[in-house]
Amino acid sequence: MAEFKSVTIKKGNHGWGGPLTVKPDKEKKYVISVTGGGIDPVAQKIADLTGAEVVDAFKNPVPKEQTFAAVIDCGGTARSGVYPKMGIPTINTIAITPAGPLAKFIKDSIFVSGVTADDIEGNTGNSAEAVPEDASRKPEESFQTRETSQSDQQRGTTNADPTLEREFSSQEKTNGKSQNANKENFFMRMIDAVGSVAGDFVNTFYQAGRDTIDTLIKNVLPFMAFVATLVGIINYSGIGKILANILSPLAGNIIGLVVLSLICALPFLSPILGPAGVIAAVVGTLIGQQIATGIVPVQLALPALFAIDSQVGADFIPVGLTLGEAQPETISSGAPAILFSRLITAPIAVLIAYAVSFLL
Amino acid sequence: MQVLTDIATGFIGLFNAGGKVFLSYMTGIIPLLIALITAINALVKFIGEGRVNNAMSKLTKFAILRYTLLPILAVFFFTNPMCYTAGRFLPEKYKPAYYDSCVSFLHPVTGLFPHANSAELFVFLGIANGFVKAGGQQAKLALLYALTGIVVIFIRGLVTERLSLYFFKRNGNTSILDGSLDINSLKKNDAQEA
Repeated sequence: MAEFKSVTIKKGNHGWGGPLTVKPDKEKKYVISVTGGGIDPVAQKIADLTGAEVVDAFKNPVPKEQTFAAVIDCGGTARSGVYPKMGIPTINTIAITPAGPLAKFIKDSIFVSGVTADDIEGNTGNSAEAVPEDASRKPEESFQTRETSQSDQQRGTTNADPTLEREFSSQEKTNGKSQNANKENFFMRMIDAVGSVAGDFVNTFYQAGRDTIDTLIKNVLPFMAFVATLVGIINYSGIGKILANILSPLAGNIIGLVVLSLICALPFLSPILGPAGVIAAVVGTLIGQQIATGIVPVQLALPALFAIDSQVGADFIPVGLTLGEAQPETISSGAPAILFSRLITAPIAVLIAYAVSFLL
Repeated sequence: MQVLTDIATGFIGLFNAGGKVFLSYMTGIIPLLIALITAINALVKFIGEGRVNNAMSKLTKFAILRYTLLPILAVFFFTNPMCYTAGRFLPEKYKPAYYDSCVSFLHPVTGLFPHANSAELFVFLGIANGFVKAGGQQAKLALLYALTGIVVIFIRGLVTERLSLYFFKRNGNTSILDGSLDINSLKKNDAQEA
């Protein structure tokens, strides 16, 4: 059998993370290309230099246990987090920085972005054998440490500094035990119990607040800035009137909405329209503008919500099914089933929403 | 000079208009989002992942639960994109249909529970903002969006289930069609992972 070589992948222009050193072995022998529209040149070059096999994950899904690297082109946050979470070194051809709900798994030891074929170098020596395994273990470890630090925090007081708090609470724990053993002071133990419950409560809410602000800054505000600028330009420049002429035959009546839903559900279009809901959000905002000005009837808001969304998740099928621990055969049969199902269910959804919209 | 000044005024006006829209989002949408998402985040932490997993593993037998309650729980508690992991409670043949119904609920849920998919709020908000400006009640739209969404994901689950069974048959994946799932072994795996 062929001998595998390791390659080093550096971040590209404006990229983040890395450098990663990956090397296939007998079990992990595939580099997967999760890029849509064939095999990405980056994946091809990694395969060429390592002597491994490259696979288009949309056409031939392989189990994650046999994958030593994943090449993705994810401008959003989902795919960029999913593969690092599964412990697979991830190479993103689009320059992004860690964000989204899985940001904590996106570490520079397992993720590199903005990569082009020029950023990949073959290593001549066999010095870096153990690196990919190390890298694949790291995110789980760091996740665990995060977990423990969280629970420590919950046991501790409401101090703001997590490191101080951890030391403090571990000291407290040992001290507390010996004291409890020495004095059987019921009253003190009561206070202890109440304090720890209250501390738990406060800290859980505090962490929840921290998570909220985190997601607000990383996910919500950037999109809000984008939409607000877009809406401002459309309103101020008068493009809105032109768009209204284009959109009103589609969005202004129920038949147009059914047609719109069918267009979004076309099996060759839907995976392109899907990513991160951006297209749906932009079209939704445009239709919302028309509803506000009265060109599109208010009642059509509900069916419109379904008409613009018939492509939802069509780009994410292989990844989503992998997260559900589906076998490769399930993915290859399930993907067309989902895409064709949309052609049937999308117009039905719009019509149901139309019927319900009389309640608005 | 007058022409140049006009052009400059128009240029700044474009972004002034954008800034005003942004400010209206900040004062209109963000305060509610912060309080709501914080409360739900805390609730999810209090209930805990283990209990939700336990409840979900019992919902797999009947189609009506499989394509309504299971995706709803998964989306509410695990949010996008970890909600798809609940697919592991299902036999292989139902996984594509579960994915389809789960992903189709990711936008209907955002009207009432924005924490579940906070990165993609504007699919709902874009239309809802216009709806409110035209005199509608956002809460009513959000509620009907979620309720209609539940009906739609159920139908979508059933249709995709039929279609994927057809594709399994056509591609000769009989092992998937026959395979059932031993939930007990899954629970063991979960315990080991924990």
